[in-house]
Amino acid sequence: MSTLTGLGRMTRLVLRRDRVRLPVWIVGSSAFLVISALSLPPLYKDQASIDQYAALTRGNPALIAMAGPGYGMDDPNIGQILVNEVQLWGCILLALMSMFLVNRHTRAEEDVERADVLRSSVVGRHAPTAAALIAVTAAEAVVAVISAVGFVASGYAVTGSIALAASFLGLGIVFVGVTAVAAQISGTGRGALGLAGIVLGASFVLRALGDIGENALRWLSPLGWAQAVRAFAGEAFWTLGLCVGFGFGLVIAAFWLSTQRNLGSGLLPGRLGRSTAPQWMRSPVGLAFRLHRASIASWSIGIALFGAIYGSIANDIEEMIADNEIYADFLAQLQGASLVDSFLATSINLLALLATAYAISAALRIRTEEGSGRAEPILAGPIDRARWAMSHLIVAVVGTVLVMASAGFGLGLAYAFVSGDSSQVLRMVGAALVTVPAVLVIAGGTVALFGLLPRMALAAWGFLAVAVLVGIFGQLLRLPQWSRDLSPLSYVPGLPAEQMRILPLVMLTALAVALTAAGLVGLRVRDVRA
Amino acid sequence: MAAVISCTDLVKTFGPTRALDGLMLTVEPGEVHGFLGPNGSGKTVTLRTVLGLLRADGGSVRLFDADPWADAVELHRRLAYVPGDTNLWPNLTGGEIIDILGSLRGGLRDERRDELIDRFDLDPRKKARAYSKGNRQKVALVAALASDAELLLLDEPTSGLDPLMEAVFQDCIVEARARGCTVLLSSHILAEVERLCDRVTIIREGRTVETGTLADLRELTRTSFAVTTRRSPAALERLEGVHGFVIDGDEARFDVDTEAIDEVVAALAPLGVTALVSSPPTLEQLFLRQYSAGRSEHATPADSTLASPTP
Repeated sequence: MSTLTGLGRMTRLVLRRDRVRLPVWIVGSSAFLVISALSLPPLYKDQASIDQYAALTRGNPALIAMAGPGYGMDDPNIGQILVNEVQLWGCILLALMSMFLVNRHTRAEEDVERADVLRSSVVGRHAPTAAALIAVTAAEAVVAVISAVGFVASGYAVTGSIALAASFLGLGIVFVGVTAVAAQISGTGRGALGLAGIVLGASFVLRALGDIGENALRWLSPLGWAQAVRAFAGEAFWTLGLCVGFGFGLVIAAFWLSTQRNLGSGLLPGRLGRSTAPQWMRSPVGLAFRLHRASIASWSIGIALFGAIYGSIANDIEEMIADNEIYADFLAQLQGASLVDSFLATSINLLALLATAYAISAALRIRTEEGSGRAEPILAGPIDRARWAMSHLIVAVVGTVLVMASAGFGLGLAYAFVSGDSSQVLRMVGAALVTVPAVLVIAGGTVALFGLLPRMALAAWGFLAVAVLVGIFGQLLRLPQWSRDLSPLSYVPGLPAEQMRILPLVMLTALAVALTAAGLVGLRVRDVRA
Repeated sequence: MAAVISCTDLVKTFGPTRALDGLMLTVEPGEVHGFLGPNGSGKTVTLRTVLGLLRADGGSVRLFDADPWADAVELHRRLAYVPGDTNLWPNLTGGEIIDILGSLRGGLRDERRDELIDRFDLDPRKKARAYSKGNRQKVALVAALASDAELLLLDEPTSGLDPLMEAVFQDCIVEARARGCTVLLSSHILAEVERLCDRVTIIREGRTVETGTLADLRELTRTSFAVTTRRSPAALERLEGVHGFVIDGDEARFDVDTEAIDEVVAALAPLGVTALVSSPPTLEQLFLRQYSAGRSEHATPADSTLASPTP
């Protein structure tokens, strides 16, 4: 088929370009899924604790919305707990993997006009897209295989493990198709990601509504199909056929749509904007705010929704924990604090980890600006390098405060709703803001890397990986105390379960400032990279 | 009056690569200075060093008689820069970017901004991601030209512009020069260089190989001769300064170094010249010879003697 000429070479090009990126995705997501699976058996050692888990999740709308319908929970086993805990996350993870990687090799390539170069050579019209789909699907199949092997090795039943891992892959395939179509509709790579993200969000909401109401809405969502494979509860593999069929159908639709448009433009027309810049945008900070605005807004909304999920189940926590010592242990050994407050404190800690991801990405914006050459015309003006970097960092700090305040707001609002205590909103916003200095330490570390070791700046994500590992799994995996002390978040007083202490916050802030200053000094004495 | 830009024995290394290796460049106030060299010869690195974005590893670089690495901010108030590879924020419009860059540089003249947008036929309401390369280039050019900078640093500013816009650009540079603006123009477009530049500097592999006015440079190169003589011209081949001698029927063709012309003409006279065509070197020949020297037989020892800078 001449439209696929050069498919083999194109696939190799994708693998070559992503020879680091693909393994990072594969190892990162498999490790997350397998470590999550490993952490469950110690928590649910006997049938009694499993039964209790099932009793709590069944009929709890908040948990069902967050974790899934709980197929087979009337005759529960440890596998169903695994499904409840990781299936949605695994599916979403692979959906995101499809979105980012497929977009990167299709629509985003057109944005930078590299696609023109490729397509002008002896390469068929559909070969670049097909190559991306093949490479991404293959990488996701590897994740599924590793996960299945990891689940079985952790002691879960074989058929259920395969069904669960296959459901991740099913979602991955659906979103390979969704992203391929979005890439045809949108005029830009960013827009394509946005469209695919809307589809993912809608899938989540539809299945949440369908699962809570136990109605047909869940069958309108690919996530619903993936869950309906009923892993560990009398597997029904045919539902994954829906995922695969839908995914491939979308791919074919994308191929057809690509014949209906010009390379480089989308089916949706671009809009015109302002012909002059408003006054506020004409300063370094104003420009930085304009560039960070969309990211701050979407992170704030997303994290508020996340917080609301935690807040909505806070009231049920006492019931959930009552007889499960290890779970209580996980929530922290906090003498004198109520279980609900411990849960809220733990939730805030998890939300702070999410906010850390935001803070790192916001701090790394200066790296993007420098590397893309967009900083150059600014630095060629009468703007000191440190001032240019600070303009972005000020916005990143304000953004971190807003993101964390939104997290606390979502958590507090939902908790106020279920507890009937409206004072919880401000209390949770306050408790959430206490974590900001620790988050900023990691952002400061990012700036230090950027200034002093610019080639290594992306290693800042390693800070987050360490903080997540010791913050979420430290207690479960019994990691030594010194390793848990590596995360700046471990020094934050666990409000509302603990007493407020000012000193650690002052120390963390000082450390964040020192790291940032070191980075700025480094930036001043090194070459501006192109 | 001190030179606007003065680079002496400039060295810049990136790991094992010597991007600049003893570069000499002097730009005098009020002149339009052409900056030429093959791809990868170090033009952009030179400009970035002059801007203080890169720190020189050896030699000296002076901008407005100050050190651009130490005093970047103050010096940048007096100049405007158009990078060779213009990358813009994809979600801002061209108009917004022009205003932002202009304001960050210390303000631009609104009437000149609007006039330039009009002359360059740019739609300022389009988002930068929708612009072609040429249009992105126009955004950067308008932002630079609408400022009141004393010095314009332009790195291949017309790559991607169509001939009509190229003409508009040339007019703008002529006007800027009339305002007293100094321009350093890196370019590959010879017609543009010939029309605009008072002096040029040619670099290769991080070294200056020639600098001077175009007339100077023409003198430093060879004139082509085609002659028909009654007696055999074969003896001419052995004269000092004669190159590429070929006989085609009764016509002889060869190139002569400028300093050897007198001698060659004297030697021609007794041969009984029946036809003579001599043509000055074209710019293309001049540049091709400079660009490719060291890589082909066109190289001449003259290159090394020409490397000395003009004060």
